[in-house]
Formats: sequence, structure tokens, C-alpha cells
Amino acid sequence: MPATSELDRVTAVVLQYMRTPFLVLLATYALGITGMSLMPGLETGDGVGGMNLFHSFYFFTFTATTTGFGEIPGEFSEPQRLWATICMYTGAVAWLYAIGSFIRLVQHPELVTAVSERRFARQVRGITQPFVVICGFGDTGSLLARGLSDNYRKAAVIDIDEDRIKALKLRDYRIKMFGHCGDASVPRHLLDAGITRENCQGLVALTRNDETNLKIAVMARSLNPRLKIICRATSGEIREYMEAVGNLDVVDPYDVFSRQMCTAIFNPPLFNWMQRLIGALDFNLETSASPPVGKWILCGYGRMGRALREALVHRGIPTVIVDPGSEPMDHRLPVVIGRADTRALAKAGIEDAVGVVAGTDSDEDNLGILLSARKLKPDIFLVVRQNHHENELAFSGVNANLIMQPSLVTARQILQMLTVPAILDLRRYLRDKGLDEVPRLVARTLGILGREKIHLWVETLGGGGCAVTSLSLRGQVPTLGDVQRKPMDRTHRLKVLALVLKRGEELMMLPEDDTQLHRGDEILFCGTSADHRLLDANLHNEYTLHYLQRGTEMPRTLFSAWFSRRVKAD
Amino acid sequence: MNLEKVIFGFFIILALTLNVGFVLGEISDPGHHSVWMLFSALLVSMVTTLLKFGDRSQIGAIFLSASLVANLQLIIATTVWAVGEGGMNTPPSQEQMVTIISLAAGALVANIVSVLMLVTDTLMSRR
Repeated sequence: MPATSELDRVTAVVLQYMRTPFLVLLATYALGITGMSLMPGLETGDGVGGMNLFHSFYFFTFTATTTGFGEIPGEFSEPQRLWATICMYTGAVAWLYAIGSFIRLVQHPELVTAVSERRFARQVRGITQPFVVICGFGDTGSLLARGLSDNYRKAAVIDIDEDRIKALKLRDYRIKMFGHCGDASVPRHLLDAGITRENCQGLVALTRNDETNLKIAVMARSLNPRLKIICRATSGEIREYMEAVGNLDVVDPYDVFSRQMCTAIFNPPLFNWMQRLIGALDFNLETSASPPVGKWILCGYGRMGRALREALVHRGIPTVIVDPGSEPMDHRLPVVIGRADTRALAKAGIEDAVGVVAGTDSDEDNLGILLSARKLKPDIFLVVRQNHHENELAFSGVNANLIMQPSLVTARQILQMLTVPAILDLRRYLRDKGLDEVPRLVARTLGILGREKIHLWVETLGGGGCAVTSLSLRGQVPTLGDVQRKPMDRTHRLKVLALVLKRGEELMMLPEDDTQLHRGDEILFCGTSADHRLLDANLHNEYTLHYLQRGTEMPRTLFSAWFSRRVKAD
Repeated sequence: MNLEKVIFGFFIILALTLNVGFVLGEISDPGHHSVWMLFSALLVSMVTTLLKFGDRSQIGAIFLSASLVANLQLIIATTVWAVGEGGMNTPPSQEQMVTIISLAAGALVANIVSVLMLVTDTLMSRR
């Protein structure tokens, strides 16, 4: 790696700006000091004495900087006073000029950027715990940063918009996030953000522009071949390019969004269960209404509307599209061309429809559609897309059955990819063949966790002080059920639920309590935070785990081991 | 009830009570402090150390270190008494008595920590 040339750039700017002022100062000083030394002084006892060079320098220094101590070291002669007057004016002017140049220098945009780049790089180098690089701090980026902060993970953020970086610095995150204003597709900035560092957990490219994201991904991949890269892409073409870069996860917000929407409509228990895991909704597992099956009206036929219609048609559900028709579309589709107002909705047959999806990319239009639909048919099922996070208040005012924010959905998806990747496998599993599993899982969740606030985390077995390892070495392989008992009373269960167990490449979905645990297992748990701590303690104290497994106390000290052997022998 | 726990607790608490017995009294008055009391406190403290060996848990490590501190302080106190002027035959001087009691008071604190930990550990496990 060639060394970054920031220092050179700083030096160049400083030299360019300060060379003339320094020369002017030097000339003024030289002239003033020489002149002062040459001026004849007052007559004293030992002849006519001028100032020596040091006295002149001393006098000029306090004069030129306008300090003005007076006639030092002794009273001046008239010629000396004349020269002193000249010194005062030239010195003060030279200094003013130098200071002015210096102020212009520190405001120089090039220098400001160089300095802030160095500061950012230094801050990132100082991070010792795992961190994530986020490129693009828009709606999704800021939601992701918030989520990371809630998980106590650091992030280095790059955004091209200075205002966004200023906004980042004003956020009240639980841990400090570092931000830098710059073009993330420039390799230098990626290096500053620490993508080649050992503790960098991944790079997330979230800029609005697919091309930029692709560029970032390509640059990052060539700088660090092993880096985990997650990229946002909305067009299929770019997606293909990205997949060609290799080994990177592409997140299409519309895809994620329409998939989640389908889950919400066709499998509400699963949707609610997932929402419960991320703590997003008020939890109403048992009241979740069955999906209204019948005709759906889709307002807006953009990338998201297309994805949604495909999913609905795939399930054999008829749809009617209402769209201004700015883009050409298949004329065989049932389409009402025009803005989705009351008339268009009526024309689309809202009377015999069961649901309306307000899915345009304009929040005002979506709210308008919602209001018109409610007026025409008060009991219709309403799904609405909220495009901008700042419109949250307006959306919470209308009573839609389902509000979905693409940015929130994407941010959550990426957050899970970064922190608890196994949940994505579980979701896929439940979506594909979970029709029998979901009700069982929901019942189990309610039974074990009740309605308490829960979160997700991953436990990795092994390492220093792992109780599972030390018990296994003694031939008492513990099971999942053992570690989930309450340390105070082993007949009770902690409020935790194992969701996925990963052993090597093998994934076990919803492992049963009698699953044996091994060193190196990675288990995805959900549960209350109090019981998370107790579970951690169980996993790290072999005496506790022995008790949980056997119901007897394991001798802790050599004395008690000897003693219990004696008692047994008797 | 568990006989093993009884023995364990007995020695730990006895180490504390003997230590208190020795430290009580005017700090510089040799008449208030018996050398036999110091000797038995040291002995019991060493026994508790032995009992604590082998525990691999976090609390076990701190348990043992508290005991080691008590031992160290009591051993130095006994040494001061033994090698001081007149040895163990005559009572130590006032200055020496102050040193001995200061050291034993330090051991007392370590013993209090031990007992507190014993009680907390028992209460925490709640079973």
C-alpha cells in the first residue's frame, strides 16, 4: 500500500499560503533590526552608543506585535525615535498581513478536508471492538446506525452530503459513531474507514445511487477480498453486475419490502412473530386477523407494485392496478389509468375488493389513497407504504391496518445480516415450509416468553471458561434444555428460546430441548435481557451447569471432592 | 443440611472470630493480646486456605485470594512477635505491639470479606 499523500497535501497548502507572508515578515524584521542598530543613540559617558543587535531585536519584537513596552533599554535619541516610528507601522502591517493569511489558510477547504480526513482515519484506527462501515447515511443508513448503536456496535459512516454527517454528529447514540464527509467510492476514503482492519465486520453500501453502490462494492472487494459486503440495489441489471463481483449480499429494498408485505398479508402469525422478535409492534399474536382473500387493489405500479402483484397472482389472488400509467405496461392487465382518487378507486371496483395497497413513492399520494379508500369502504384492509421516515407522525394518525417503511425494512434486514445472520435462514425456512411450524412456534413463544420484551442474540460455545466444554470433557454432555433451566430452581425454565443452532455448516431450525450441545456450536436465542444474563452465567459456570443437569451439587473444592468420596465410601 | 458445607462455613467463620478476639483491646497494651490467640487464628486461617483449594469458578478465585491475604498478614504479625526484642518469652514492646495488631487488623478485613462472600454466595444460589 502506498502511503496516503494527505501530509503532502497539507504541507503543499500551508507552503502555498504562508510562503509570502513569512517572507514579508522576515524582510520587515531584517530591515527594522538593522536600521535600529545603525541609528546613533544618546550621548552617554562612554561615547555615542547605538543599540546592539540583540537589543534591536528585542525592541522590534515588542514593537511589531504592538505590545509597546516603551523606550527600552534606555532613553532614545531623535534618530532612534524616527526609526522606531517606521518600525511600528511596518511591523504592525506585516503582522496583520501574516495573521490574515493564516486565517485564510485554516479556512481553506482543501486543508479542512485533509485535516478532517486524518482525524476520521485516526478515530477509526482507535476502534478496538468490531465495527461496521456504512456508506451513505440516508433514511436507511441512519436507521441502521441507530440499530447498531442499540446493539452496542460501532460504525464508521461515510456520506457525500456534509449536512448528513453533521446530522450524524448530533445524534444521541449509545456509543460514538464516526462520520466523514466524502465520496465513498474513492479507495482512500474506504481505507480511512478501516475496511482492511481485522475488526471490520463488514461494509454496507447504502447510497441512493445503484451505480455508486456498485463502485463502492468493487473498490472494497479489491481492497479486501475477505470483507463481508452488503449492497443496496434496486435495478436488476446492477444486481447482476454486483453478483458478478462475487461473495457479496445484495439487498433490494423493494424485494425485501414486497416479500415482507406478502408475509404480512398471507401469513400474519409469522409476520407478527417476526415483528415481536425485533420489538417493532405491539404484540398481538392471537388477535392477528386471517388475511382477507379476494380482490386487491394495488395503487402504484412501480418496481414495488410489480413485485407485489407477482406475489399475489402467484397465490391465485386477483388484482386491479391503479396507476397514472407514466410507464408502459401490459394492456392485458386489469388497469385503471389515472391518479388513485375516489373516482379511480370506485372504477377499480373497491366495492367488491377486500384490500387496498397504497404503494406509490409519494407519501402524500399514499395518505390521500388511504383516506379515499376509508371513505368509500370503511372496513377495507389497508396497507400503506411510508417512504420517508420523517412523515411518521402523519402516518400514525391514519388507521391503516399495516404501515410499512421500505427504509426501515431494509435497515432491519441489514442489521440482522450483520448481527444475527441465522434469523434470515429461519425466516426463509418458516416462509417455505413453516405452515405447520408457525402456529407451534407462536404457541411456544407465548408459553415460554409471555408478553415480555425480548431481544435476539447469538451464543458461541467454547473459549475460556465455557462450562459446556468442561462438562463434555467429563462425559456429561449437556443438552439445550439443561442450559435453559433456572439456576435458582432447575425445575423452572428461563425465559429464553433457542431458534437456530449452527454446527459447522449444518443448521438446525428450532432445536428441541434434548439437543446435545457441543463446543463450537452457535446458537441463536431470543429472550428477555434478564434471562440472557442468567443463561450466560449458566454457560460459564460448570458448577451451576452440573447442578442444572443432574440436580446435585458438584464438589467445588478438593476438600469437598475428598469429603464426598469418603461419605460415598462409608 | 450438608455436612460438607457445615465444615466449610465453620472454619471460615472461626478464622474471623479468632482474629477479632486477638485484635480486640488497647492497641499498644501487650496485656490485652494473647500470643495463643494469634497462633490459633493463623492456624485456622491456614486450614480455611486448604479448604478453598480447587474451586475453578470466579468466586472461588476471590475466595482463595482473600484467604491468602489473611495468611500473609498473620504470618508477618507472628514473625514480628517472634523475632522482636526478647522473642516470645517476654511481652513485646509497645511499638511492636502496635505493628502486630495493625497487621492482624488487616487480616481481619480479609476474613470479613471471606465471610461476606460465603454468605452472598449461599444466598445468591437460592437453592
